[in-house]
Amino acid sequence: MKFFAFHLMPWDRLPDDFSEKYDTAWTWLPNEMFDPVHGGELYNNYLDQLVLADQLGFDGVCVNEHHQNAYGTMPSPNLMASILARQTKNCKIAVVGNAIPFYDPPTRCAEEFAMIDCISGGRLIAGLVVGGGPEYYSFSKNPTFAREMYREAFDLIIRAWTEPGPFEHYGKHWKLKYVNPWPRPIQQPHPPIWIPGAGSRETIQFVAQRRFAYMGIPYFHLDFFQRNFDMFRDECEKCGYTTDPEQLGWLLPIYCAETDEQAWAEYEKHLWYFVKKLLKGLVVFPPGYTSARSIAGIQKGLQQFMSTCETREDIEKGGYAIVGSPDTVRQKLAERITKLGVGNLLGLFQLGTLPHDLTCRSMKLFAEKVMPGLREEMNVALTS
Amino acid sequence: MMKTENKSLNIAGKKIQLTILGEGPPLLYLHSAGGETEPIDFHKKLAEKYTVYLPAHPGFALSEGLDQIDDIQDLAWHYVDLMQQLNLENVPVVSWSLGSWLAAEIKLIRPNLIGPLVMIAAAGLHVDGAPMAELFLDSFDELRELLFFDPNCQIAFDLTPSDVNDPRILLWLRAREATARVGWNPYLHDPKLAGHLHRLDSPIHIIWGRQDKLIPLAHGEYYAEHLPNAKLTILEECGHMVPYEKTEETAKLTLDFLASA
Repeated sequence: MKFFAFHLMPWDRLPDDFSEKYDTAWTWLPNEMFDPVHGGELYNNYLDQLVLADQLGFDGVCVNEHHQNAYGTMPSPNLMASILARQTKNCKIAVVGNAIPFYDPPTRCAEEFAMIDCISGGRLIAGLVVGGGPEYYSFSKNPTFAREMYREAFDLIIRAWTEPGPFEHYGKHWKLKYVNPWPRPIQQPHPPIWIPGAGSRETIQFVAQRRFAYMGIPYFHLDFFQRNFDMFRDECEKCGYTTDPEQLGWLLPIYCAETDEQAWAEYEKHLWYFVKKLLKGLVVFPPGYTSARSIAGIQKGLQQFMSTCETREDIEKGGYAIVGSPDTVRQKLAERITKLGVGNLLGLFQLGTLPHDLTCRSMKLFAEKVMPGLREEMNVALTS
Repeated sequence: MMKTENKSLNIAGKKIQLTILGEGPPLLYLHSAGGETEPIDFHKKLAEKYTVYLPAHPGFALSEGLDQIDDIQDLAWHYVDLMQQLNLENVPVVSWSLGSWLAAEIKLIRPNLIGPLVMIAAAGLHVDGAPMAELFLDSFDELRELLFFDPNCQIAFDLTPSDVNDPRILLWLRAREATARVGWNPYLHDPKLAGHLHRLDSPIHIIWGRQDKLIPLAHGEYYAEHLPNAKLTILEECGHMVPYEKTEETAKLTLDFLASA
């Protein structure tokens, strides 16, 4: 069982009238709202939180890529990962992930990931993603080519890491006479690969066939995760092997305080800032991003998305976030991790307006009072 | 009862839906991103004088083969194949929006295929200072607002699905995907088209709604100014949905023009 601290680097100063005046925190939100000086403070706080995670004994930290939005102000996770490669000592550094259709050419991702792997002494986990729907608007990239670009970029990156260069690549989307990246990664044949997914069977099959790790896209109802993780295990069986729990990851907001009451009192308004403001307009499926049939299905599945929650009870019932005393958090996590059968827990400890000191205190409580017991309990539960 | 025939064609490996409507000399209709691939009143008016060929572009309705289309030029070559198979040459073409952009591209690569041309609220250009609005929206309310002069008219609601449970949603999503395929970037235009307009020198009638919020009238004016043999008619109290919003008037303008061209 592994524990990761996941970070979005969210923007914390959306105006009070945001919900009435703006349709979305994505793509079209005027960037005048971004105050660079405050942005600098935030980035430094956020990096401190991830360095703290390493000091507290988390197995890894996670950064990820988003563009032109207030939800995640980290357009280049590789910049953050390279700072963390220097400033952390032991933890894995998971970039979940690079949106590789936007890397031109995608060998740039192979190069940058190799640099991070070298600087960190082989601690990189390489996440490779299609890129979210909103990013296809932000970059004016044609979403009807998203999947084929992803597959081409993916195969090219693996080749760039594993085949001696220089070699030629003449694909549909990239034509490269010389593929020969310097540097190469420390981890051989290449760093571990994580792929996030929102439940489309196509992605689940792809990950299962290649024996990579599947990260469940967050903010859905527990039942939705259960369906997807079960589907993944079935697909692995079809490929002739049994899933290692470490091939599965579950990402969710976590907040820990001394008591349940205190935790909710401190956390609730920050959770609603995240749910009602930062998630607003998050799930946009541009045309052709996936098949029309899948889009129609997922649109209906959005009735199980966190942004439909209105009350604390909705959040707790659906397991959209875990909030409470260390005992409560440990108990709920133990039960759900066992049921879901996941070997990686990705905790989202900072989700926007939560103050720096509360974030750090929650992480400390989690690391000291939840993680050790849970690690032992789960190592027995997941391997038995 | 108007004569109607539904066909399935094989065009260079692509299965294509074709509807043929009415009697008389042939006329090719090139549909918009909205995918009016079933006969509408406007088509029926044209079919009183012509045999209207109404094919669905790949990815629309029952037409397949979008995987063989990467851009507007691929779509134009598809129509070169289709027109050859139907023995259509020097044929009058009536087109709307995406279809008009397509007509211009076909005529550039095979000028002899298209005779007199009607372009209604044509896509295809980028005009400085007159940006096209965002068509790829998720909200049907915003979409109606964008497309219609009166977004609350009955036809506006009849034409757009009401929500994701609407049974028409799949067809609608497919049409959107097929439009995005050729029109996502560059957004609904071909940067090189403006430089070719002087080569499109046969008679062209451009029809535009003055209140078109998707493709502003400035685009119509640009076409009219740079096409050597074109005239522009502006319709008042009309948005982008010209064939629906001004059915009679547009049909009359079209038939009169084709009769005189």
